[in-house]
Amino acid sequence: MNLRFILIFSYNYGLKFIKRGPSYLIASLALPLSLLFLIFIISGGRLLPYAIIGGVLSIVTSNAINGAADAAFFRLQIRFQDLFVASPLTKMDYMTALTASYFVFSLPGIILYVSLGFIFHILNLLKLIVLILVIFLITISFTNLAFIIAGLLKHIRNVWGITAILSIIATVLTPTFYPYFIIPKNFLMVLLISPITPASIFLQGYFGLAPYDAISIPILIIETIALMIMGNYFIKWRE
Amino acid sequence: MIRVKDLTKKYGNIHALKGVTIEINDKVTSIIGRNGAGKTTFIRILSTQLKPTSGSVNINGMDIDRDINKIRKIILSIPQEAQPVGIMTPLEHLELYLIARGYSLSEARREGKYALEELEMEEFKDVPCDELSGGMKRKVFVAMALASKVDIVFLDEPTTGLDPLSRMEVWNSIRKLDSNIILTTHYMEEASELSNKVIVFNEGQVVSQGTVRDLLAPFKNKVRVEKTNGEEYDVKIGKLSIKYVPNDRAQEYLSKGYDVKNITLDDLFISRGVTLES
Repeated sequence: MNLRFILIFSYNYGLKFIKRGPSYLIASLALPLSLLFLIFIISGGRLLPYAIIGGVLSIVTSNAINGAADAAFFRLQIRFQDLFVASPLTKMDYMTALTASYFVFSLPGIILYVSLGFIFHILNLLKLIVLILVIFLITISFTNLAFIIAGLLKHIRNVWGITAILSIIATVLTPTFYPYFIIPKNFLMVLLISPITPASIFLQGYFGLAPYDAISIPILIIETIALMIMGNYFIKWRE
Repeated sequence: MIRVKDLTKKYGNIHALKGVTIEINDKVTSIIGRNGAGKTTFIRILSTQLKPTSGSVNINGMDIDRDINKIRKIILSIPQEAQPVGIMTPLEHLELYLIARGYSLSEARREGKYALEELEMEEFKDVPCDELSGGMKRKVFVAMALASKVDIVFLDEPTTGLDPLSRMEVWNSIRKLDSNIILTTHYMEEASELSNKVIVFNEGQVVSQGTVRDLLAPFKNKVRVEKTNGEEYDVKIGKLSIKYVPNDRAQEYLSKGYDVKNITLDDLFISRGVTLES
């Protein structure tokens, strides 16, 4: 694995992107921060932990899903992917580099929400470690979903619309900002298809906000592996 | 040396390449042809981006399927319409690309700076690419080729969409490459400016090949005369009547209201199917 490439790519396309395109960072924080504000006001602060845990998952998920637009843009529009196909770089290096860059791009949001978590006594060190592990899995799974979407597209004209729709479905419809147990079980089963649902169920249980559901973590891991396999297939490295 | 044998590529029912067999062993080879002639498909297969439907490709003694990883170490391909990433600078592109090829960060930085200096882009090395002109953006990729020091560089339509001055700038940059170059273009002028050998593609097949002089030999001592709705013609393109006549009859056609044009590589396409009078 070309670790140097992964580090430099995530530095250039993650960290420097924050500096050179701050509007994208603000845009990625706008929805979760607005929901945090609304939830805080409406619940009188009672549901704040959901807004904070949901917020951090939402930032990571939407940034990773937006990666579909980047991946499609790189493959179909500016042909950046092809440049690396005809080089010693492997597709796993390329995919890992993009995934790492989205994680890096999400860092300011993660730091903000983690800070809020500590300020409002929702997080401690152990919970932070668990949260970061879940964030890793979510980043990997949704970035691979992004590769699948990008690989299936023949042109890029709809990609921004598709990612916006998926982002809303994945972060608002699923029990990210609200307790998972208040929705009908059948509907919850349907929502389990999105990795953010088992992630939310696990974290809500682990943080003591809702009944603990042990099956959620294996589901999240299986979905992440399945998406990695599919992402690896659909990326269209050598067509 | 590139050896291509019976190469075919099908997209559904469309035959993009129909059994291409050719050897390429020149410093700069241009592949010319109209849109849809199969140029890009051919170059994408040679540069390992696309799997052929059938046939074989051998690059410097290595098979494109069996030895793909070895081949990827000695080639570089700049795809058609490739654009740098807007927020990244030219130097960052070069560093990233060279690191992808296995360079260390310090080597990549040194070679990247050197290549940008060679192409007179030093003052733009830290400017985000979305602030550069079209020609400068293309030169970022040529700099990658220069810095990589690979054996073979594939350039797919390297100057498409550029203004004449930017094209000349890119040509000058391409001339600085030490690698063997295979480029596709539909600018005939580009092919004649840059290449030792020209391969002409039409409808997925190689229809002719040779030096520019070889290819234009049938047009020796001829001019192209053309007139809208002209009565005499060898070829009609829309309302434009085109005829190939000996130089010494140019005046005669001028007096009939025809325009007289010098022969260029364009005439290889215009004249297809025409029997030229000797």
